[in-house]
Amino acid sequence: MGPPIRGVASGRRFALRAKASSAALRIPAVDQQKALAAYSIRLTTAMVLPARPMFSAAPRAPSMATLAVLESALSGLRISTSAAIGSHVSRRHASHQAQGRANKAADGAGKRLGAKKSGGEFVVPGNILFKQRGTLWFPGDNCSMGRDHTIHAAQPGYVRYYRDPARHPKRKYIGIVFEKNQQLPAPVNAVRRRKLGMLAYQMPQTYAVQESADLLTGPQTGLPGNAEMGTAKPSTIRDQPNESRGIKTIKKTGSGKVVDEKLTLRPGYQYRQANWEIGRAAERSKAAQMVKPFVPGDRFAAWRKKNIRVAKNAERRAMGRGGKKGGKK
Amino acid sequence: MAFEKGARPLARCLQCTKHERAALPIRTFTTSRAALLETTNDPASTETAPPPARQPMSMNPELVSRPSQERRVVAETGKQPVASRRRRYMLKQTQNIPFEQLPFQCFQEARKVLQEDRKEKLEQIRVQRERMERLQAQNVAPQDEGRKNHRLKSMRESLDHLKILADINDPMVKKTFEDKQGDMNKPIYRHLADKKWRSYKRQVLMQRITQMNVVPDVLPAVDPVVSTSLMFGRRNVQHGEIVDSRVSEIAPFLEIQPYDQGERLYTVAVVDPDVPNVKKDGFDYRCHYLASNVRISPTETMVRLGDLSEKQVILPWLAPYSQKGLPYQRLAIFIMEQPKLESAADSACRSQEIDVAKIKEAGRYTKRHGFILRSFNTTQDLKPVGADLFRTVYDEGTAGVMERAGVIGGDIEFKRKKIEPLPYKKLPGSRYR
Repeated sequence: MGPPIRGVASGRRFALRAKASSAALRIPAVDQQKALAAYSIRLTTAMVLPARPMFSAAPRAPSMATLAVLESALSGLRISTSAAIGSHVSRRHASHQAQGRANKAADGAGKRLGAKKSGGEFVVPGNILFKQRGTLWFPGDNCSMGRDHTIHAAQPGYVRYYRDPARHPKRKYIGIVFEKNQQLPAPVNAVRRRKLGMLAYQMPQTYAVQESADLLTGPQTGLPGNAEMGTAKPSTIRDQPNESRGIKTIKKTGSGKVVDEKLTLRPGYQYRQANWEIGRAAERSKAAQMVKPFVPGDRFAAWRKKNIRVAKNAERRAMGRGGKKGGKK
Repeated sequence: MAFEKGARPLARCLQCTKHERAALPIRTFTTSRAALLETTNDPASTETAPPPARQPMSMNPELVSRPSQERRVVAETGKQPVASRRRRYMLKQTQNIPFEQLPFQCFQEARKVLQEDRKEKLEQIRVQRERMERLQAQNVAPQDEGRKNHRLKSMRESLDHLKILADINDPMVKKTFEDKQGDMNKPIYRHLADKKWRSYKRQVLMQRITQMNVVPDVLPAVDPVVSTSLMFGRRNVQHGEIVDSRVSEIAPFLEIQPYDQGERLYTVAVVDPDVPNVKKDGFDYRCHYLASNVRISPTETMVRLGDLSEKQVILPWLAPYSQKGLPYQRLAIFIMEQPKLESAADSACRSQEIDVAKIKEAGRYTKRHGFILRSFNTTQDLKPVGADLFRTVYDEGTAGVMERAGVIGGDIEFKRKKIEPLPYKKLPGSRYR
C-alpha cells in the first residue's frame, strides 16, 4: 500500500463539485428531466435532436455536455432572451462616428481679423491697426504689438503698410508717419523722426524748494545755503516743527502721583502724544525700571543667574513634573 | 587663507615626493635674460628692454601672493601684481628654469619648429624690406607715381603682416600679452590687443550704439577702429551705462587706444541728441564737450577731458542732465580722426592740426544748443574712428547739478501730452441687423 494518489483523489473531488454547481445553478436533476420532456413535446417534427437517443435511458441523468448542447439549441427558440440564462447576443458596431468633428464641421464664427485701419488713415495712440493670428504683419515705426499679435499705433499719425529689406528681407511692416507726405521705410542712416509728445510744467514750488534746499545746504558743495528760498510758509501741520505746534499740558494720575504730560497737536488735529512717545512708554513703566541692565562680561552676575536657574529646575524636578532626564540643568 | 586653499591641491601635487614627476624641475613662467633675447627680438623695434631688477620675493609683483603684500606692493612700487594670485603663488613654489633647459623633449622639439619658422619669416621680412628700398630708390615717370605709391603701400601692408606672423607663435609673447605687459609699440601686441577688443568689447559697443540708435541719430555711420573706455574719477563706466548726474558732473577721463602705428590727432565730441524742444514737439542736439588736436599714440592713450589746454578745447565740459519726466538722455562720445598730413614720416605725427581759435572766432560751433556733429565733421573733414556712450536720467542730484552749472530749468517737469481719442464714427445703419 503506497500513499493515496493525489491526482486521482482531487480529480474526483472536482467532478463532484462540478455536478453540484450545475445543480445549484440550473434545475435539480429530476426536474430537468421533466422539463426536457415538456420541451420535447413542443418540438416540431422537423427538428433534429442530436441528443434524442439519450432520453431513452430514463433513469440515468444526462451528462453536462449533453445539457450544454441542448441549452444552446433551445436558446434560439425562446421568446425572451434573458441575460441570466447567459445567451450570446451579437453587438452592432457604429458605422458612423458619433463624436468629434464628424463629416468635417462647418466653419466656426468669424474672428473679425484683418486690417482695422487702412494705409494713410489718421490714427491716435492705442488705435488698433491690424488684428491677426500670428505675425502676418510686424510693428514698424511708432507701432507696437500686443499680446495676441495685434498691431497698435504708438503715436498719432498716418498709417503706412510697407516692407523694409534693410531691416528684414521678408517681413511686412505697419508703421506710422507724422506727416501725410512722409514715406516708410525711412532712408538708411538718416536721423530718426521722433516726437517729444510732452509738455513742460513748472514743478510745484514745495518740491523744488525742498530739493534745492537739501542739495545746497550740504557741506561738500561749498555754496551758500539759500535762506531766502527756505522761508516758504508750511501749509500743513505735518510740515511744522514740533515746537511751533500747539501744546496742551494735562495732569496725569496714573501711578499714585500727579504728573504733567505735554500733548502736542498732531496730524489729524488732535492733541496727543507722538507715536514714538507711546512706543517708548513701556520702557518707562515700573516693571522696566526693576530690570537691571545687562552688563556684557559680568561673569559673577552670570554665575549667580545660572545658580538660581539650576536650583529652580532641581526643585521643579523634585516636585515630579517635567519627566525629561537630560535637559538643561 | 583663501588663495592658499585654492592653490593647495596643485601645489601639493607638484611637491608630492611619491611621484617621479615631482623630482623634475618645473618650468616657470618668468622671463630669464636668455629667453627674453631669444623670443622677443622684435624686428619692428630694435630696442630691447633690460630684464627687471631682482626684487625681494615679498615685493616682487610677479611673485607676491598674499593680499596684504599685494596692497603693499601697489602702495610702495605703484605696480599692479601680475596675473592671478594662484599663478603667482605657484611661481613662488617652483624653480626658475629658463625655457631652453626644460626637460620636456616634445616641448623642445616644438620650439625648434617654431624657431625655424620664425627664421624663415625674418628672412622674408629682410627680403621685403630690400625690395621696398629698391622700389623707393627708383625714379619713375610722373604718370606712374600713383602706381608706385600704391605698390609701396601694399608692400608695407604685407611687411606688417609678416612682422605679426614672425611673433604670433611665440609662447613668451602670449604670456606677456596675457600679463598685460605687452609693449604697444610692437605690431604683435597691437595685433593681439586689437583681436581681443574685437572679439567682445567692440561687439558690445556696436550693439549699444545701434540698439540705442546713436548711429543714425548723431552720425550716419561709424566703424570704430580705436577702443575707448570712460572713467568718472575712479569709476569705470561701461558703454551705455546710466550714470548718476552727480558723478558725471566733473569731466571724465577717456582712454583712447589706437591699434595702428604712430601718433595721431583726434577730435573728441560729446553730444546729447535728446534735448527736448516743446515748441517743435521734437528733439534737439546739445554739445557737452568739444576738443580738437588731442594727441594720441598706441602708448599714450589717456585723455583727461577737464585738463586739456585752451588751444584744444572749443567747448568745455558741461555736466549732463535730464529734466524730470523725460526719458533717458544719451550722451554720445565720438572720436574723430583729423585729416592726414601728406608729407609726414611714419614715426612722426601724421595728422593736420585744426585751428581752434578760428573755429571759436567763427562762432558757429561754439553754441552748445543745436550743435550738429554731422556738419562739424563735414566742415573740418573729420572721420569718426571711435565711439562711446553713457546715459543720464533725472535723479535727486540733477536739480543741484543744473544749478551749479548755471543752467535754468531745474524746476521744470515734463508730462505726457494728452491726446484726444478720435471721434466715434457711427457706421451706417445697414450694417446693424
